Amino acid sequence: MSPSRSSRNSLQSVDLRALDYLTSPSANLLCPICHAPLITPVQTRCLHTFCSACISLSLERSSTCPVDRKPLNHDDVTPAPIMIANLVNDLVVLCPNREKGCTTSCARWLVESHIREDCEYATVKCAKEGCDGMVERREAEGECVHEEVECAFCEGAVRKLDVELHYKECPKLSSDCRHCSKSFPNPELAAHKLICPDEIIDCAASHFGCSFSSRRSELDEHLSHCHFVALTPILQLHTERIETLELENKAIRQKLDLLVPPRPLPTQLSGATSSAANDSSSGRDMTSEMQDYTYHLYSEYEQLRSDVERLNAQIRELDVKQDMARFNEGLRYNDEMTGVRAAINGLRMQLHWLVASRREAGTGGAGAGGARSVAGSSASGDGRRMSVDSVRQVVKL
Amino acid sequence: MALPKRIIKETERLVAEPVPGIQAIPHDDNLRYFDVSIHGPAQSPYEGGVFKLELFLPEDYPMTPPKIRFLTKIYHPNIDRLGRICLDVLKANWSPALQIRTILLSIQALLGAPNPDDPLANDVAQRWKEDEPGAIATAREWTQTHATP
Repeated sequence: MSPSRSSRNSLQSVDLRALDYLTSPSANLLCPICHAPLITPVQTRCLHTFCSACISLSLERSSTCPVDRKPLNHDDVTPAPIMIANLVNDLVVLCPNREKGCTTSCARWLVESHIREDCEYATVKCAKEGCDGMVERREAEGECVHEEVECAFCEGAVRKLDVELHYKECPKLSSDCRHCSKSFPNPELAAHKLICPDEIIDCAASHFGCSFSSRRSELDEHLSHCHFVALTPILQLHTERIETLELENKAIRQKLDLLVPPRPLPTQLSGATSSAANDSSSGRDMTSEMQDYTYHLYSEYEQLRSDVERLNAQIRELDVKQDMARFNEGLRYNDEMTGVRAAINGLRMQLHWLVASRREAGTGGAGAGGARSVAGSSASGDGRRMSVDSVRQVVKL
Repeated sequence: MALPKRIIKETERLVAEPVPGIQAIPHDDNLRYFDVSIHGPAQSPYEGGVFKLELFLPEDYPMTPPKIRFLTKIYHPNIDRLGRICLDVLKANWSPALQIRTILLSIQALLGAPNPDDPLANDVAQRWKEDEPGAIATAREWTQTHATP
């Protein structure tokens, strides 16, 4: 290797994670996060192994081990045993410049130095002094392709690298038209293609169904009597109206989606989504964002609605409960009232009985005479005691 | 930005060794966007149905979980009317060691074991708790109308 070559190190960077391996490596050597053979392997306290970069990224988001979810932080991560590092570093990889033509394969730990110093297809700085261009290493020894040369035809200055490209648009070079075989300077060829009388083109109303095609110069005659062309204005009008109606229909359907609880049939829904999916990816991002927002609002609204419904139900339930409570209380009072009324009735009856017995005693005493009045009064006293006892009994009953 | 090797590997494996009852196909124009279909598990009200989902891998996947949504209408206490799924591993319990394959399996398992105690669709969950046979009948009916090809 000549000293001039080794001094020109390639600055091309190597993404170890994007490398292709000669044989598919053992699943035990893959990082659970990036699914590539471990790069700078580290080990956690729970004895799981990851790439150093992968586990750092993961710990920034969650302080748990990605495999078993045990608590984990940066201090619990230590370098893995050297043996594991050696196992992954010895895996044979293909050169990242494989697509450019390099057939080298080497151990992974050597691939960076291969690119930096050896690979014929790695990009290096151009050999010429003062030139900032980049070339593949195998071309670096030759003459500089970045210096400007004179175009052999137009005498303009062109970089050697771009000569081929320049020829396609050099004004002094001519090419033949494919259709009319006339020769035109390169820059004018594109303009000529639009008006070449010999090119075969379709009728102007071909998108409405006319299948006629002929040379451009002869098409005018066809156009003058083509039915499709004659109908074009009205067909155009119809197409435009259908488009407006479709748009309107879509807007109305969206409004309906928001207003009416039942969702449209899933076929329509998936149709809409798949048509959205057919747009370019950036378009999809925009629409999906909008959709997400609409969905968000919609679900918020739904949630509020169900909340209100739930509250309503709760209020109704409480109402019923209160009614029941009031009713029960009323029943209890009623019972008490009946009891009290019965007691009053009993007392009244005893009163009657007492009054009646007193009256009876009064009439009996008057008939017996004065001599017996003392005994009578004592008897009536007994009778009163008796009656008091009987009242007590009744009350007890 | 170039597609990370992990996504390429996962996609290749999903296509080469598909999980039984699950299909995930990336879009041609956006390889982070997948059309997914999941067969309803046997002995569940979703048996016989094929459910369509969309799956999107965000820029920082696998550090953040994939975004997944049901496109087919489904009567399930953990899936709302917009198709959003209430599943812990899709949110707080996501781990970068999980992958598309395992997540789709979790969703299939969720169809087989609805969890009305952690609901997303409140009305469905309530019905599931109060009248389970009725709710299961509705789920079966919806599967018939919406998820049968």
